Amino acid sequence: MKERWKRVLSVGVLMIVGITIGLFLRDDNKSVTKNLFAMDTYMELTAYGRNSEEAVEAAVQEIQRLDALLSTGSEMSEVTIVNREKKGSLSEDYAYLLKRSMELWKLTDGAFDITVYPLMQAWGFADKKYRVPSVTEIESLLTYVDTSKISYDETTNEVVIPEQAQIDFGGIAKGYTSSMVAQIMKKYHIQSAMFNLGGNVQTVGTKADGSLWRIAIKSPYDNVPYLGVISIAEKAVITSGGYERYFEEDGIRYHHIINPKTGMPVQNGLVSVTIICEDGTMADGLSTSLFVMGKETAISFWKAHSEMFDMILCDEECKLYVTEGIKECFSTELEYEIISKY
Amino acid sequence: MFKKKDVTLIIAVLILAGLIAAFLRIYSGETGETVRIMIDGNEYGSYPLGEDSVIEIGNAFGYNRIVIENGEVFMQEADCPDQYCVEHKAISKTNETIVCLPHKLVVELHVQNREDDFDSIAQ
Repeated sequence: MKERWKRVLSVGVLMIVGITIGLFLRDDNKSVTKNLFAMDTYMELTAYGRNSEEAVEAAVQEIQRLDALLSTGSEMSEVTIVNREKKGSLSEDYAYLLKRSMELWKLTDGAFDITVYPLMQAWGFADKKYRVPSVTEIESLLTYVDTSKISYDETTNEVVIPEQAQIDFGGIAKGYTSSMVAQIMKKYHIQSAMFNLGGNVQTVGTKADGSLWRIAIKSPYDNVPYLGVISIAEKAVITSGGYERYFEEDGIRYHHIINPKTGMPVQNGLVSVTIICEDGTMADGLSTSLFVMGKETAISFWKAHSEMFDMILCDEECKLYVTEGIKECFSTELEYEIISKY
Repeated sequence: MFKKKDVTLIIAVLILAGLIAAFLRIYSGETGETVRIMIDGNEYGSYPLGEDSVIEIGNAFGYNRIVIENGEVFMQEADCPDQYCVEHKAISKTNETIVCLPHKLVVELHVQNREDDFDSIAQ
C-alpha cells in the first residue's frame, strides 16, 4: 500500500514538473498580435518573446501618438497647425520628418515633394471627394509645390512656409512610424517582430525559429497572385503602386500618386515599386519617388545609390526588374531581369 | 532501481502530457483553416474555410456580405463608398487579408503551414 502511494506521488510530481517546463517554454515563444486602424489604414503588429505584451502595447501607443501629430485630417495635429499658421516651433518628430523630406527632395531631384498636398486636395485624395481638376487649376496649384521655399532653422527649430503652401508627410509617415516601432521593440529586447502598417512591412530580427521572414509582394494583376516572395531579416519592405487608392471617371482610372512636376497621377509604364532597406523612413520615401521617376530614371538612381537600398520594379507588361543585392533572396514565377551596378 | 513497470508508467505519463499539449495547441486556434473577421480591432467571428457559407454583417459602420466558397473568401457586397473590398480578389492563402477600411472590417485567413506560405504582404 505504501509503495503504491509513493508511485502516485511520483507521477504527480512528474506531471507538475512537466507542466511547469511546458508553460515556461510557452511563455518564451509566446507571440502577441494587435490590430488597429490608424493613419487612415489597417495595421497589424506581432512580437515574439517574453516582453511582447508590453512591447506591442507601447507600439500601439506610439502609433496613436504619431497619428495625432501627423494627421492632415485632424484640426489639432501639428501638421494641420503649421499648414494653417504657415509657421511654427517644431516638435522633434516633425523636425526630423521635415529634415528627411528636404534631403529626399534634393536626393530625388524633386520627385519626392511634401508640398504636393494642394494637388492631392484638388484631386480629392485628401477628403475622398474625388474629381478631375481642370488644367488651369492644376497649373496654378503647381506654383505652390516647391520644397525649396520652406525655410527651416535648425538651431531655433522654427519653420516658415509660403502663404499658399501645404505640407503633408503622407509619403513618409508610415515608414517613419515603422522605424519608431522597431526602436520600441529594441527597447523591450524583442528579438523577433513584424509589423504591417497598411502594406508597409517592417521586420525586427528573424522569425522566432531563426529563419527569415517571407514577405509576399502584392500583384496589381487579377491573374497573378503575387509578384514574388522576398526573404529578409531586420529590414523594411515597402511597395508603392497606383492600385492602392484610385477613382474612375469617364472610364479613366486616376490613382493617388501625383507627380509633383506635372500635378497629374503618375503614368509612366510602372505599376509598382518595392523598396527593401533597413530604414523604413527612407524605404517609404523612395518607393513613392522612384514610382514617380519611372523605370529608366529609377534604375540610374539605384546605380548611383546602390549601397542605400534594393528594389523591385514591375512594369505594365508584368515584367520585373530586380536589383542584384536581393537576387538570392527573391523568388518569383514572373519574367524578370537582374539589374547590376555595372 | 527503477522497475520495468516504473519506466512504463513514466513513458505513459509523458505521452499523456504530449497529447494534452497537442490538444491545447489545437484548441488555442493556432492551427486549422479558419477565416477570421475582425471589426475595429476586435474579433467578430471565426469560420471554417472548408465550409461554404455567407456571412452578413450590418452594424453602425455599414453593411458587408462575406462569402466563403470552395476554399476561397471574397467580399460579395458592401455599402462602403470606395468598394475596394468588393474589387479585391478572392483570398485563399494564410496571412492574406481583405480590408474594408471605411467599415473598419478585416477578413483574415489562417491556414495550416504550406510550402508557398508567407508571413506578410507588402502592398
